[in-house]
Amino acid sequence: MTREELARLFSEQRFIVPMRAKNKDEVLEELLDTFVREGLIRNRAIVLEMLHKRESLGSTGIGKGVAIPHGRSTAVPDVSIAFGRSAAPIDFDSIDGKPAQLFFMVLAPPQELNSRYLPALGRLVELVNESKNRKRLLAAESFAEFVAVIKGEE
Amino acid sequence: MVKKQLELLVALQDLDMMIREVEDVKQLGFETPSLDKLEKAREELREKIGKPLYATYERLKARYKRAIVPVKDDTCLGCFMRLPTSLAARGREDAEVITCENCGRILYWLE
Repeated sequence: MTREELARLFSEQRFIVPMRAKNKDEVLEELLDTFVREGLIRNRAIVLEMLHKRESLGSTGIGKGVAIPHGRSTAVPDVSIAFGRSAAPIDFDSIDGKPAQLFFMVLAPPQELNSRYLPALGRLVELVNESKNRKRLLAAESFAEFVAVIKGEE
Repeated sequence: MVKKQLELLVALQDLDMMIREVEDVKQLGFETPSLDKLEKAREELREKIGKPLYATYERLKARYKRAIVPVKDDTCLGCFMRLPTSLAARGREDAEVITCENCGRILYWLE
């Protein structure tokens, strides 16, 4: 998946800077609600349960201040991603034990014709592993600036 | 009642998908649970689902991998056949478990 293709999975309606969430549960709900508001998800409860189940089985906080809660659910119609940044770091039970500030929520249906879910997750992990990108994501103030980072534009 | 059972089935299928993708997700650098933990969670969920419905789910899963599929715009998203209008109306009532007349998968109305 190219960074251009990855960028197309985001939307301004699913971009929250700064987030209101103060803890892990609130992070999950605030990001999920962007999908609900956009009309992408009708059954919020079922998707939230899937996300909690995923977290209870192993945190999606991948360290370096980034968490990527993700999962597939029958109640999700298409692959899409939400992004949120909190003003203060939030404890997310991350693997490095440090709190997170950059949050990506990746949702997908169980089976998609063009298999974009795992490639999107992989590309995202690769992108946030570069400290230069993390710094830019921490500084992006608008959706346009954010998308430029995802696309790799200088 | 039926709606609740269908929702449990959706949750079970979501969990089955998680189990299937454990290795893929692990390779991407995510912390993943041991399969035992996932299987235990699956067992707890399975106990809440009625036996006949669960048996149908398993039979369909063996055949299609995905036993319960969403309906969008009156179309089964398993086989992409358009559903009769009467079926769509019944499905929205959530009073019975409805299967696709073409492929047999259990249908789940997203709306």
